[in-house]
Amino acid sequence: MLEIVILGRGGQGAQTAGNQLARALFDEGLFVQVFATYGGARRGTPVASSLRADARPIRLRSDITRADALLCFDESLMNEAFLKRGREGALVVVNSARDATAFEGGGRCIVPVDGRAIARRNDMGKVVNSALLGGFAAALGQPALESICAVIEQTAPAKVAQNLAACREAHALVAGQLEEMV
Amino acid sequence: MNRMLNDDLQLLNGNHAVAWGVRLAGPDVAPVYPITPQTPILEKLIAFQAEGKFDCDLITPESEHSAMAAAVAASATGARVFTATSSQGLMLMHELLHYASGARMPIVMFNVNRTPAAPWGFWPDQTDSLSQRDTGWVQLYSEHPQESLDTVVQAFRIAEASELPVMVNHDAFYVSHAVEPVSVPEAKAVRDFLPRRERSLWLDTGLGRSIGAPAGQEAWHASRREMDAAMARVEGLTREAGRLWGEATGRAYDVLEAYRMEGAQQAFVTMGSMAGTAREAVDRLREAGIAAGMVRLRLFRPLPAAALRAALADIPVALVLDRNFSPGMGGIVHQELAAALYGHGGPRLHGFLAGVGGINVPVERLEALAREYRDAAPTHAPIWLE
Repeated sequence: MLEIVILGRGGQGAQTAGNQLARALFDEGLFVQVFATYGGARRGTPVASSLRADARPIRLRSDITRADALLCFDESLMNEAFLKRGREGALVVVNSARDATAFEGGGRCIVPVDGRAIARRNDMGKVVNSALLGGFAAALGQPALESICAVIEQTAPAKVAQNLAACREAHALVAGQLEEMV
Repeated sequence: MNRMLNDDLQLLNGNHAVAWGVRLAGPDVAPVYPITPQTPILEKLIAFQAEGKFDCDLITPESEHSAMAAAVAASATGARVFTATSSQGLMLMHELLHYASGARMPIVMFNVNRTPAAPWGFWPDQTDSLSQRDTGWVQLYSEHPQESLDTVVQAFRIAEASELPVMVNHDAFYVSHAVEPVSVPEAKAVRDFLPRRERSLWLDTGLGRSIGAPAGQEAWHASRREMDAAMARVEGLTREAGRLWGEATGRAYDVLEAYRMEGAQQAFVTMGSMAGTAREAVDRLREAGIAAGMVRLRLFRPLPAAALRAALADIPVALVLDRNFSPGMGGIVHQELAAALYGHGGPRLHGFLAGVGGINVPVERLEALAREYRDAAPTHAPIWLE
């Protein structure tokens, strides 16, 4: 089973990103479960989206405490409590202009994606979720870029072309970085 | 392409699955007041109505008390009525919950189980609905979004056949906000499953009748005797609805579910979303050579006591997992099960307050619990799980 936790601040699109990622994995033939948890939902407070994907129906109804991958929309949320939700060696994609060495990952694999810069370059202002989804999918190796793009096309409320361009740019950037590392 | 391809699967969260079930059941009137984490049910019904797909008098009164008052009044005219709420909203309805059942109104309500204040919280916990257990409402608990859709439709059939109100419950977030593949049945299958039936009593401006007027002691007493007789029919009606739903959709249901109970030496007993995690724990324990099983209670009121006794008849140990808390006593399912078993033998019971306040109960914790309590001395006090 693949387990993912996405953390952001209310209004940033973490819940939407979780739903889009689940849709793409579902379209690729997997069973999925994705649920958001939040307290008094308001802009700025932390919102988490928890996602499970598996080849068989998912029955667990508990928090994800040893995720295979984490996606962080706001680097101010990159604290120990969040990182601990990822297992040892987990992939951690963080929305940041800083280098991976700027983060203490505790044995986890940190991949910064400068979502804000990519969003700005693609006329998306501060809306970073398509960029982060593209970067995250490249780092994780699934779902395929085209699956993510198909979902963005169906679900983006506006600026579909710009969302797609941001997603593709981030995907290419991260895929390129990974290739260099190999 | 691992999943068995099934084109009719949609990704829906638990609350939207409920809204689909309600749309298909076709209530005439739905008075609903929004509250987290129920609100997506109301939002989806409003969206269906805006699309012209939900022909229903959707009323948004100023409080849950008024919503239930409107539900009772609408139901008294013979209308099919739905409402939905959660936690504080359910408790604000309390007075009228008694009224609805006493007046024998077959209202269907969906409640999203959420912690009652104080402190303020939004977390999965069944204390809200379980504390309404004596109001005369039938209570059903759902494990997952698909079951929530299926059960809300069945609830109308049970309510209208028994002339008792039915409350269906699912847990906040783990079910209400969990987006999963859900099969939405054909409208015709639901129409055939849920024919309109004439009520034994209804109000009409052309008829000189009243419902709920002051009654003498004998009439009041008789009303409860009649409710008791109606409640006694609900277990059979729930079984029948679950069986016929199975014939219509391929998904059959019963009043309780016995999971891997063949040869089990110990069993978890639980309700709602906890059953999913317990199911996984049972599989892991079986793989490790420990004969564990699970009994999931789906119908809580009326309590299917004989079915519970039969399911646990040859089981040495039962571990009751209560995501609820009755201060001064413990877990409510634990109490109810102990009462059902009293004088009949049955397993050694251990009652756990598991996930109270919505705290996480991981599968590993349940596995460890089964190992720890396999040969434990009897316990009577509730045990808090951290």
